Amino acid sequence: MSNPAIGRLLRHPVAGSIISLAAVIAFFVIFGRARPGEFLGAASWVNFAANLGIVAIPLGILMIAGEIDISVGAMIPAGSMSIAIASGYYGLPIVVGIIISLGIGVLVGLVNGLLTVRTSVPSLIITLGTLVAMQGIVLSASVMLTHSAGVPLTAPQWSKTIFGQLLGGSYQVIILWWLALMAIYFFVMHYTRYGNWIFAMGGDKESARNAGIPTRRMTIALFVLSATSASFVGMCGAILFNSAQVSGGMSYIFNAIVSVVVGGVLLTGGFGSVIGIFFGTLTFAVVSQGIYFTNIDRNWSSLIIGMMLLLAVVMNNLFRKMALTYSPRKKEVRTGQ
Amino acid sequence: MASATQFEPAAPRARGGLLSSLGRLLRRPEAGSFFGMIAVFVFFTVIAGDAFLSLAGLASWLNVAAEVGIVALPIGLLMIAGELDLSIGAIIPASSLCVAIVAGHYGAPEAVGIAAALAIGLLVGFVNGFLVLRTGVPSLIVTIGTMFAVMGLTLGFAVLLTGATSTPLVPSPISKALFGQLVDDMFEVAIAWWLAIIAIMTYLLHISPFGNWIYALGGDRVSARNAGIPTERLTISLFMISGFCAAFLGVCQAMTYQSAQVVGGQSFIFNSIMCVVIGGVLLTGGFGSVVGIVIGTITFAMVNQGIYFTPFDPNFGSVIIGALLLAAVLMNDTFRQMALSYSKKKK
Repeated sequence: MSNPAIGRLLRHPVAGSIISLAAVIAFFVIFGRARPGEFLGAASWVNFAANLGIVAIPLGILMIAGEIDISVGAMIPAGSMSIAIASGYYGLPIVVGIIISLGIGVLVGLVNGLLTVRTSVPSLIITLGTLVAMQGIVLSASVMLTHSAGVPLTAPQWSKTIFGQLLGGSYQVIILWWLALMAIYFFVMHYTRYGNWIFAMGGDKESARNAGIPTRRMTIALFVLSATSASFVGMCGAILFNSAQVSGGMSYIFNAIVSVVVGGVLLTGGFGSVIGIFFGTLTFAVVSQGIYFTNIDRNWSSLIIGMMLLLAVVMNNLFRKMALTYSPRKKEVRTGQ
Repeated sequence: MASATQFEPAAPRARGGLLSSLGRLLRRPEAGSFFGMIAVFVFFTVIAGDAFLSLAGLASWLNVAAEVGIVALPIGLLMIAGELDLSIGAIIPASSLCVAIVAGHYGAPEAVGIAAALAIGLLVGFVNGFLVLRTGVPSLIVTIGTMFAVMGLTLGFAVLLTGATSTPLVPSPISKALFGQLVDDMFEVAIAWWLAIIAIMTYLLHISPFGNWIYALGGDRVSARNAGIPTERLTISLFMISGFCAAFLGVCQAMTYQSAQVVGGQSFIFNSIMCVVIGGVLLTGGFGSVVGIVIGTITFAMVNQGIYFTPFDPNFGSVIIGALLLAAVLMNDTFRQMALSYSKKKK
């Protein structure tokens, strides 16, 4: 601990998530005899991380602000279904489909946000309600309108290039979206006043409002952001795979929350960083997809994720305590050594 | 300002007669959920008619209510105490696989299998409670962690020990009769267990001192501890009860369906929370009742199964449940405000 640089690094909120990532990779290499060359070249985990990451970052920012949104689990199928129904089944231009798909995200986000700021009900419960309701609406609407649960979609080339291209044969173009969005979020969270506002809201909503922060508008905006991001992921999936599936959004709920928490965000708000969430997502992707490149039976991946989450939580607690109680050493102590 | 929220002790009763008792009833926390249940019942009676009212219709939703209810009750208690438990979604398949592997695959006595399964529930509950207390991390996160861990352990051990993700089990007549029988070919015996658990929980929450402790814990943990309530032991006990009930449901499922799968159980996580919330329990703790949770469970089950008796698309049921949940939440909010701000009219 004599080196102040290492101490400062350890007290940085990102430290926990980077250590988790390193620990997971080390574990895989040592115990699983991982094949790093093969693994690094594989697209599966990067694609997985990108899809998850686009949902996880706005969710993480929402959690920094002290709220949570589990309706994302229904918004991914909703986004993919709505564009497939509009542009695939009814043959509307793809732009209309994109607008409808993102519009549904905005709408559900507005409902979540408005209900959260208008009532005293925790956002977990409100978004649980919209989650179930949207699931039902998406499924019954697709059955009612198209009489099937899977709708084909043929997107024009330009939209494929932007949203659903495979780069180098196997890398989804959504990876670039993920990196670009992350850069934007990073800038907003750490270099603009909005970021400060969000941290303040998560720390103490009452004081934040008293300080003149428009907490209600910010909360609603964050809910819109997270729901729209989820429908964006669904939309890109539909364009890429030429069809919409209604199932498969639910796993995103827990996966995204785990990524965010491993990334060092507190559920109680006020603490976290975009880079941390990025590494958290990466760690999650490495565990759930990277396990295929090791000798470890992939059935254990859930166990590793669970243990990792619990460890991360304990570790983050420790680092945070270190960060909050840290003060430069007094002279007396130094002379005492 | 502060005196406005204080209760007047022993306000004069028997004034206003019927109207005031009606008002008192409306301010009960369960009032909203009760009207919700009646509305749902009337809705399905009108739309589906005799099919919904028939014995088979009754059995279909009672079976669902019993299965969800067995886990919803302890989850409700936890939520009244201000905690949450998502790990039940992993405990249910873990315990049902445990019975099937111990008793079915290895042929050990069933009692051993059942004991092992229930022990798993208690153990996971203990870990949950212990971690929540020691780390101060919200129980939502801790139990997501244990959920993933138990899911992984279940899958890993099932494949390791039996080589498959599902294990058959032929229960003996006694345990079949106790845990997995279909009475009259329709009613699962779990309904009886549900009723028994309702009775126990009613005693725990509303009659024994334990109940007051739970409310106090949910209201304000620090004050509760200062008042001498053993908050740590209480929290761990509540998590263990919820783990135990989830494991018990797993055992019942294994006996009923005569096989156990690695998947299944995930749906119970959100379903049980929805039942509890529809029943008027607040996530923030300190508020709710067993009657409310039971009403919420029945409402949920009626919508979940009743939809199959209607001409609607079954998926439409989720829309109703979601709308019901939001309505319940908004109504509870209003009723609670009414209850908390209520004061007798001044002369």
